Amino acid sequence: MGDFILQRASSYAGDIDNLILLITVLVGVWFFLVEGMFFYLLWKFRAKDGQKGQYITGKEKHLKRWINIPHGIVLACDVVIIVFAINVWYNVKQSLPDAESTIRVIGQQWAWIFQQPGADNTLDTDDDIFTTDDLYVSNETTYHFHLVSRDVIHDFSVPVFRLKQDAIPGRSITGWFRPTQTGTFDVQCAEMCGIGHGVMSGRIHVQTAAEHSAWVAANSPAAGE
Amino acid sequence: MTFVRTIQQTVAATIVVGVVACDSAPTPGLARGEEVFDTCAPCHGTDGAGNYELLAPAIAGLPAWYITSQLEKYQNGQRGSSPFDTVGIRMKSMSLALDVDGDLESVAEYVSGLPGIDAPASLHDGDANAGQQAYALCAACHGANGEGNEALNAPPLMGQYDWYLMRQLKKFKTGSRGSATGDIGGAIMRPNAMTMDDATMANVVAYIEAMQ
Repeated sequence: MGDFILQRASSYAGDIDNLILLITVLVGVWFFLVEGMFFYLLWKFRAKDGQKGQYITGKEKHLKRWINIPHGIVLACDVVIIVFAINVWYNVKQSLPDAESTIRVIGQQWAWIFQQPGADNTLDTDDDIFTTDDLYVSNETTYHFHLVSRDVIHDFSVPVFRLKQDAIPGRSITGWFRPTQTGTFDVQCAEMCGIGHGVMSGRIHVQTAAEHSAWVAANSPAAGE
Repeated sequence: MTFVRTIQQTVAATIVVGVVACDSAPTPGLARGEEVFDTCAPCHGTDGAGNYELLAPAIAGLPAWYITSQLEKYQNGQRGSSPFDTVGIRMKSMSLALDVDGDLESVAEYVSGLPGIDAPASLHDGDANAGQQAYALCAACHGANGEGNEALNAPPLMGQYDWYLMRQLKKFKTGSRGSATGDIGGAIMRPNAMTMDDATMANVVAYIEAMQ
């Protein structure tokens, strides 16, 4: 369903969509059940001529059932959500699969700077490629990213990857992604970061391995200069 | 029924007026320029005097042609696109806010009408006398008195902070400014900056400051 609303283009986008779908279904079912029961009772026990209202303490067993049974089932639903959420959180945020390449993402008011390795595939060497607002990556490749900020708090968000991570000044936060579809997708800042926040957008270009190798060769300073 | 009809007519009239108001483009000119300048003021100040804390230069009194040309460069990526030009990137983003036809010219007209400032010296490690000789290179485009030259797209240097001039010279030298494709003015300025070492830059800037 998530793919129908917004394309998925990373290995974990489906896991996040499924978690949101699970939460939506479990919470949605209860929402309609409770609201349905609420309005049904309002209608059933509406004011009638010659009938007085009763004061109910709710202490009797047959009345407490109406609270206790749904309460227990809701708690069980919570446990299901928590188990699935922890599983997804662990896979996306806590575990770090081996990287095939590592990049640095730098947030600043109001642009994204990307530093990625040149032909040597090693970050922080002379042939690193720096770009502003455009990140070029290879499809079906696992990337680690080191996310930093030059000034204020930003948030590196790639909606089609279902990736969203705060960038905190003074910290380097490591995360990962693995693109699964070629194409050009939006990068945005998802944290209010000043007057130009609204125009702090970029693009991620997911290329085939051959296209990406050609791009690296053409843009690597060692090769081009 | 009459009451309901009145409500319907009022709502319809409000929508029509709203649509017409939204559709009509603002009239270019000084008044519009002043309005658009609200976007610039947070960094450059309401008087256009600049702000060192934000590394925003003085823009008050700069000629409209120069302001327009720089805003156009920011918008088309000829300036502020280098990953190493932190301040330029900020300005590039802001320039994109001027997306209504005529706004660029309007704000340029407004800013050029603001009274220029006396930029006090803040760098004191340059030798103005030594800088005078080196300035001969700059004078060819910027004029003997730093008054600028529209025909050469060379801005006036008077009324600008020394820290800003110094930073721009270094940017031109390293290529974080002036190296983008299509930036003809930058391509002319770069080789000149590349001939200067830090001491020469400081001297030239000290001389420009002394001329003010």
